[in-house]
Amino acid sequence: MVKNLHPFTLFMCFFYVIFISVFTFNPMFLASGLIGAVLLLFTLDGIKSAKILLVYLLMIVVISITNPLFSHNGATILFFINDSRITLESLIYGINSALMIVGILIWFNCFNKVFDSEKIMYLIGRFFPRLALVFSMSLNFIPRLTAEYRSINSAQKTIRQSRIKRAAAAFSAVITRSMEGAIITSDSMSARGYSLKGRTHFHRFRFTPYDAFYLVLFTALFVLCVVRSVEICYYPYFEMNVNAFGLVSAISFLALAFLPFILEVKEALKWKLYLSRI
Amino acid sequence: MYVISLILIPIVILLGTATFGKQSYPAVSCAVALLACVPFFLTFEREKNTRKIVFLAVMVALSVAGRFIFAPVQFFKPVAAIVILAGMYFGAQFGFLTGALSAVVSDFYFGQGPWTPFQMFSWGLIGLLAGLLSSRLIRSKILLIIFGAFSGALFSLIMDVWTVLSLDGGEFNLSRFSAAVATSLPIIGIYVVSNIIFLLILSPLFGKKIERIKTKYGI
Repeated sequence: MVKNLHPFTLFMCFFYVIFISVFTFNPMFLASGLIGAVLLLFTLDGIKSAKILLVYLLMIVVISITNPLFSHNGATILFFINDSRITLESLIYGINSALMIVGILIWFNCFNKVFDSEKIMYLIGRFFPRLALVFSMSLNFIPRLTAEYRSINSAQKTIRQSRIKRAAAAFSAVITRSMEGAIITSDSMSARGYSLKGRTHFHRFRFTPYDAFYLVLFTALFVLCVVRSVEICYYPYFEMNVNAFGLVSAISFLALAFLPFILEVKEALKWKLYLSRI
Repeated sequence: MYVISLILIPIVILLGTATFGKQSYPAVSCAVALLACVPFFLTFEREKNTRKIVFLAVMVALSVAGRFIFAPVQFFKPVAAIVILAGMYFGAQFGFLTGALSAVVSDFYFGQGPWTPFQMFSWGLIGLLAGLLSSRLIRSKILLIIFGAFSGALFSLIMDVWTVLSLDGGEFNLSRFSAAVATSLPIIGIYVVSNIIFLLILSPLFGKKIERIKTKYGI
């Protein structure tokens, strides 16, 4: 499964796809990126993702329609609304940017599904160990503080009648307690030798040859995509010239965008196959 | 530390706009927002004081937990107020870090996205400004109210700029921006009001709590 890749390999895969999606004008790229993302989200999240995908579909429509209302460049005039012209090129541009924005949003959706806080902390922790510690501590504090607020609030119900006053008093009590807790925690940490030299961190990720293979594959595909050989212009007329290089880069982006989905499905299919053999 | 950003930001802007033109504006602005935070992070990595590290974690946790605690009232969030208080009482750098990290940590719950660097930058900026104005903000209640209102509007306006940039593929369309601001005007209003309310309630309490902890633990 795609989740089981090493965080670094996984991160680079998402980085490459999103980087290219941000910078490309190419509708072929945008369409394949969007489809890859939708397939991945659907396999990760199942039928639950249908709702959010519907919202995104609506977003594509809205962005495509509003672009010609705000931008009047382009030579092919479709019709006039209140003396301002609605052009075909502007509509095409709108559809393109809608595909781009929604594609990127869905990729980020998949990113949130695949990357739990542990993976993000591992990646940050290599460069910013203190910051990663702050993240992990706050993620630990948040549910504790919320629970503490609830218990204080329910205890105060017998004393204070106004809901607002009660909420304020309980939140204030939580602040005091958490501040004191912070002092005690930090003293305990220093007593146990935090921030002394030569201490290592625990993490459960290992960089295997499998990860190395995929990292190289992703990077190779990325390099192929970056070769810019497609000439596209939107205004005044929409034109697109594709040559052999352009085709190669489009196919490599297609592969890059679909690989996470393929990885995700491959394991599920394998599992089904093994089950059927029993 | 700050030199790194001073060198890197222009390089990113030049490279991005030279090779990709207008298309690159949303991505370049994201990168710039992120790079603006890096010097603060790097300085923090040198922090030897464990108490400061844990206090930062607690302030970040408080601002995010506040989002859950007050979740029944929509858009009524104490995040900005706590970031401002952190800046006021613990200094500008601490305020910036509280703001920037609150954005990241709350997006662990609400979803990371291209908007994360912008939230980091705008909340960080609010904390930084609060830290720079700290002595005046503690003394004058009127200034505190004005600052709370200003920071509520600032956050929304920065996010609107980003929305418009990303919608139009890098073209800053003024009519679209005013449309975005107009639709978010009620939300700005709630932000402003909630900031002021939280600041007025929490600010005197906060000062007392910190004094108490200082005497209790002898800091």
